[in-house]
Amino acid sequence: MIKINNLNFGYSKGQLLFKNLSMQLQNGHIYGLLGKNGAGKSTLLKNMAGLVYAESGTLDVLGHHPAKREPELLAQICFIPEEFYLPSVKIDAFVKANAAFYPNFDHPYFTALLAEFDIPVKQKLINMSYGQKKKVIIAFGLATQAKLVIMDEPTNGLDIPSKAQFRKIMASALTEDRCIIISTHQVRDLDNLIDTVIMLDENSVALKASVDEITDKLCFKRVKEIDETVIYAEQSLAGYNAVMPNYHQEDSKLDMELLFNAVLAEKNKLKPIFN
Amino acid sequence: MNNTFNITRFGLLLKRQWLEFGKIYLISLLVALGVIIAFYGIALWDVLALHETFQHSDLTFREPLFLIFGFLFITVIASTYFAHLGQKPKAIIELMIPASTFEKFIAGIFFTGILSTVCYLFLFYITDLVFISKLQSIVKNVSAEETKQLDYLHKYVDVMPSFAYVVPLFFTSIFLLGSIYFNKFHYIKTAVAAMIFTGIWTYIVVKTGELLMEGRIPVEQHKLNWSEQTAFNLITLLLLVLTFIFWAITYVRLKEKEV
Amino acid sequence: MEFRDNKAIYLQIAEFVCEHILLGKWKADEKVPSVREMAVELEVNPNTVMRTYELLQQKNIITNKRGIGFFVSDEAIENVKAYRKTQFMEEDLPVVFRNVYLLNIGFDELESRYNNFVKQTFNA
Repeated sequence: MIKINNLNFGYSKGQLLFKNLSMQLQNGHIYGLLGKNGAGKSTLLKNMAGLVYAESGTLDVLGHHPAKREPELLAQICFIPEEFYLPSVKIDAFVKANAAFYPNFDHPYFTALLAEFDIPVKQKLINMSYGQKKKVIIAFGLATQAKLVIMDEPTNGLDIPSKAQFRKIMASALTEDRCIIISTHQVRDLDNLIDTVIMLDENSVALKASVDEITDKLCFKRVKEIDETVIYAEQSLAGYNAVMPNYHQEDSKLDMELLFNAVLAEKNKLKPIFN
Repeated sequence: MNNTFNITRFGLLLKRQWLEFGKIYLISLLVALGVIIAFYGIALWDVLALHETFQHSDLTFREPLFLIFGFLFITVIASTYFAHLGQKPKAIIELMIPASTFEKFIAGIFFTGILSTVCYLFLFYITDLVFISKLQSIVKNVSAEETKQLDYLHKYVDVMPSFAYVVPLFFTSIFLLGSIYFNKFHYIKTAVAAMIFTGIWTYIVVKTGELLMEGRIPVEQHKLNWSEQTAFNLITLLLLVLTFIFWAITYVRLKEKEV
Repeated sequence: MEFRDNKAIYLQIAEFVCEHILLGKWKADEKVPSVREMAVELEVNPNTVMRTYELLQQKNIITNKRGIGFFVSDEAIENVKAYRKTQFMEEDLPVVFRNVYLLNIGFDELESRYNNFVKQTFNA
């Protein structure tokens, strides 16, 4: 679905944000894109959508070069930016203006999504709260039936019930021929939804592995004392939350925040495990 | 699917842009209409309401009004068209619309270069028609023959130089470019940039002329035997070339726009 | 459903399904929710549910009828019990044994406590 090869990207000359970044993404997965502030999560997503242009390297999205901004590809991308704008019209008018560009737009599904999200359909978009607007564009984006769904911090601004609704909707939105990429800081909102983790750090992909692969190789557990097998640990009330190699084939639950910090702190110890 | 131009998709895009900007477009048209009517009303108040004698000089306000206000109107519209691309959230939505860059660009030309001029002409013509016919029904000191000649377009359409048709395209192309080139204060910045450019060009042309001719005496009198028409055609050509250059730059800017 | 911290999600979902079967909410030959329905209900990735269902298929707790969906096997209850037993023996019992050893608890004491517990909880 997406092939990135030796991507070099920088906002200003000489200062590269990505150096020789390569990775491949497949259909049928929900990828969680993690990284520190400024690691380039949004920028990577924008590269995939063709909103910014890389200095060198190749980027192939569904057989297209996104920088060309070809309508055929654009109709297959649902891009939910963190900050967005909606015109001051009612939802019907918005759909009337925009849906026709997407050959597979599913109107009943859109209505169902709005109902699931509790959106007052008759209200003007401009009078809606940030969270409501966000839900409208998420509903619209998913109803386009786009093959590539890119979401930048989608749960930002959603209230607690909306987050649960969002998770349900995303769980049902994942199909065999769809690829969903979600960047997030709020890993707790989404950690059961993500099946593959992509972590950006130091101009490149620090880790890209499926949750199964991670829990196959690493064990996340609470320990009383730290011994030499522990790769990374954080103190908690009842001892330490530790990451260690999975010597005994234990099926632990991936703690995404712990993994995130472990990757940042102990890159050298983790690299050999995943290669 | 043709990824450069598809007429159905282009139609969808025009419809979308209309639904998006149509309201503002109509409001600005209304404002323009109001301004034109106000000028007519004030200028012809004495004749129409107070029934004073009509003089031809009562209508001399029309030329400057038509030209100055027309210029302002079409350039303001042009300088707002791509202006929202300067704001990230709006630009993302706009760039992600599944239409080609070329279609988005042509839609821009349609709304700024063509539609706004046509609308303006139409508004001006209608207002003029209404006021003049009212005038014709009241005014007794001008012969029927003469009043027929009074309406604005009728008066000028025959004597208008050929390049006049290109002028609106030329001006709007400058301001359309300005709307995508600058991120803020598009109108002022474009106007200032245009003036500086014109200044520099004039200076260069005059200086090179002086340099080339300095200390030389015309040996033979070469007289250019250009008719007025040839001169007009040349101006038309020049304006068209400049317009296309500005459009080309606009297209490239749109294509290279990053968010 | 509230997930616990210490166990892989796909195993927790497996427990959830087993619980339903043991409690008789899902009976033999009945259809179990589809992967998608289950994913939506539990707000998890469908691939995780798929992994659960594959595991349960291996254990003969559910069967896949091609094109129709997953069904509770005829011998589901026995297989759930067998699966649970291995799990208990492998995971929970060592912890208990460790405490029994460390705290010097005699087997007689354990037995009487066990009998008491069964009497109180299950009225057996």
